[in-house]
Parts: sequence; C-alpha cells; structure tokens
Amino acid sequence: MKEPVYEVFARKTREEPLRHIGYVNAMDGDLARVYAWKTYDEQNWFEMCVVPRAQILPVNRHESSFLPAPPADEAVVHSRAVASYGGSEMAGGGVR
Amino acid sequence: MSTVAAPGTAFERADALPGDVRAPLRDLILVLADSKRLLGIRYSDWMLGAPSLEAGISASSMAQDEWGHGRLTYALLGEFGDEPKALEHEREASEYRNPEALDRPVRSWSELVALALLVDTALAVQYEALVDSRYTPVRNRVQKLLDEEAFHFQYAAGWARGLGKSAQVRGELRDAVASLLPQTLRWFGRAEAAERLVQEGIVRARPDALRERFLSCIGPVLQDAGLAGELGVGERDGRWSWSGEIGWEGWDDTTRRAGGSGPDEETIARVRGDKNRALLMD
Repeated sequence: MKEPVYEVFARKTREEPLRHIGYVNAMDGDLARVYAWKTYDEQNWFEMCVVPRAQILPVNRHESSFLPAPPADEAVVHSRAVASYGGSEMAGGGVR
Repeated sequence: MSTVAAPGTAFERADALPGDVRAPLRDLILVLADSKRLLGIRYSDWMLGAPSLEAGISASSMAQDEWGHGRLTYALLGEFGDEPKALEHEREASEYRNPEALDRPVRSWSELVALALLVDTALAVQYEALVDSRYTPVRNRVQKLLDEEAFHFQYAAGWARGLGKSAQVRGELRDAVASLLPQTLRWFGRAEAAERLVQEGIVRARPDALRERFLSCIGPVLQDAGLAGELGVGERDGRWSWSGEIGWEGWDDTTRRAGGSGPDEETIARVRGDKNRALLMD
C-alpha cells in the first residue's frame, strides 16, 4: 500500500508560531493525525497540524526539503525532521 | 446516544450510593478495568509487528494509554472495599472480566484492526455514558480518557478504511469484524442488569442506546470500507442498526462474558506481572 507523506507542524503555546517538527507516512489524513500525535509526543503541544506534503507549493526554491517525496526506503520517521522541537536551538542543531 | 437525565445531587463517595447500586457499579468498573488492561496487552503485541513504523509507534502508545486507563479504573475500586493492587496482580485467569475477544492474541493485523475498531470503541462508548455520571469519582476521570480514545478511533477507522480498499486483505477484515460484531454488541449487556445504574444517573444511557451509539460510530467506517452491507450493518433515517440477533446463552451480567475460562496462561502472566513479582512495590 502506498503511503503519502504528511508534514507535521506544532507549537507549545498560543503565542508561538507553528514550526515544522517532522513528518509521517500515512494512508490518509486520519492516520496521519494519529501517527503525528503519537510519534512526536515529547512535548505537551498546544497545537499540532499535519499537511500533505503534496499540497505544499514551493515558491522560490525547487530543491525544497518538502520536495520531492522520499523514496520508500528513505521513509523513516525523524530522518529528515528537525530531530526534536526547537531544532537548531538544540545542541548539534538538529537535522535540517 | 439518547441519554437519560436523572435528577438529584452527586454521589461523592461509594458509601453514599444506594445499596442496590453499589454492586452493579463495582461490577461495571471491574469489567472496564480488566478490559482496558487486556486491550493494552493486545496493542502491545503489535508494537514490533505492525505494517509500518508509525503504526507500531502508535500501537505502543495506545498500549500505554490503555494501561493508564486500566490503572485509573482499578484505582476507583478502592472506594468499594477492594485492594486495587491485589486486583491487578493476584487474581486467577478465571476471575478476569474482559471481553472474550481479548483472551488470546489475535493472529493477523486485520484482526487487530477489527479489535481496535470494535472492542476499543465499545469500551469508549461505555465510558462515554459515564461522563455526566452522578458518581463523582468516575465522572472526574473519564473525560481525559475519552480525549485519548478519539485518537484510537481515528487509528482503527483509518486502518479499516485502508484494508477495505485492499483486495488482498479486505476479506480477512470482513471475517474478523463478522466474528467480533455479535459478541461486542452483546457486551453492552441486558437492560435489566443496567437499570438501577441508569435510574440513579450513574450511567447515562441504557444498553440498547449504547449499542446504537456504538453502531453509529463504526457503521460509517464499515460503509467506507465497503463492508457494512455484508455485515448486516445499515443506516435508516440517521439511525444505525444491525440485522442479526444477539444470543444470550451462558451470559453473565456481572462479568459481561458468556463462558470461557479467561485469558490464556501466557497473557495472564503478562497482565499480572508474574515475571517481576518479587519486585512489586508497595
């Protein structure tokens, strides 16, 4: 079964902007929601959203990290994500 | 769900409950606690065998949720003179009150999806009828649990829809649901057994209303999966029903089981924590 990629965005408080925190592979939006909530559960999120990667339109860079979808053998959770909430603020800077 | 309004003030403690309500409420709480504990085991069986990493991570998380719900539900029994720790660690398999479907491991991913869609949803529907309970200790604990259950339902529904689209496994899912559906509808029990709890506003819906509510949750999913008709589940004027008949032979209102000797030995050893019995903390 083919599973599209959903990008995951979240924020810890109402005052913060949503940030990209990673992605999941899921058959549909319902499963993407569950997978995102259950996979990126290291924080007590105020808000989390998922967006189908295919719906993201690059504006100025065609080598955007959101395009193209990774091949199946690369579809591992966290592999292209920011490692954890905060990303570059963490030691090592996460994986961008 | 057509809920039943009951006037009167809240019952803050178990000893404030009418005498003929205490026993059926204790029965219900123990049924729910055991069911949660066993369902957690079944999700945990698939942490490493799920079709994708995300599905396995979610199964693992749902196992934790169920064990948390079980712990929280067992704790309610302290009010009834029970020792929750003894209930969790010292009972024989035959004393467990989980649905029979949880007695032994499921054999396939389709069966797990059916279990999640039917048994987990049935439990959530029964807990939902406690959200406005007049029994305060129960009411205080249920909402958070239901918030977590919303994700479990999305998980089960997403997978059921997905498997329904696969010619390869669609039949497997249909057979698994067909096997579980009658017993899960029966699990809500008989009207007479629940009547006092409903009259006193402890449980806010009668078994038939819970069955209908349950069908209104799973019916649209089965329809999307292309299975509703084959399984006798249908909707008319906004109301979902099942065309089959529930068999009550051997049914025990207190355990909500119709026979069987309880979970198998390996399962019960895991449930009780037999391997680490020497390390149990007071």
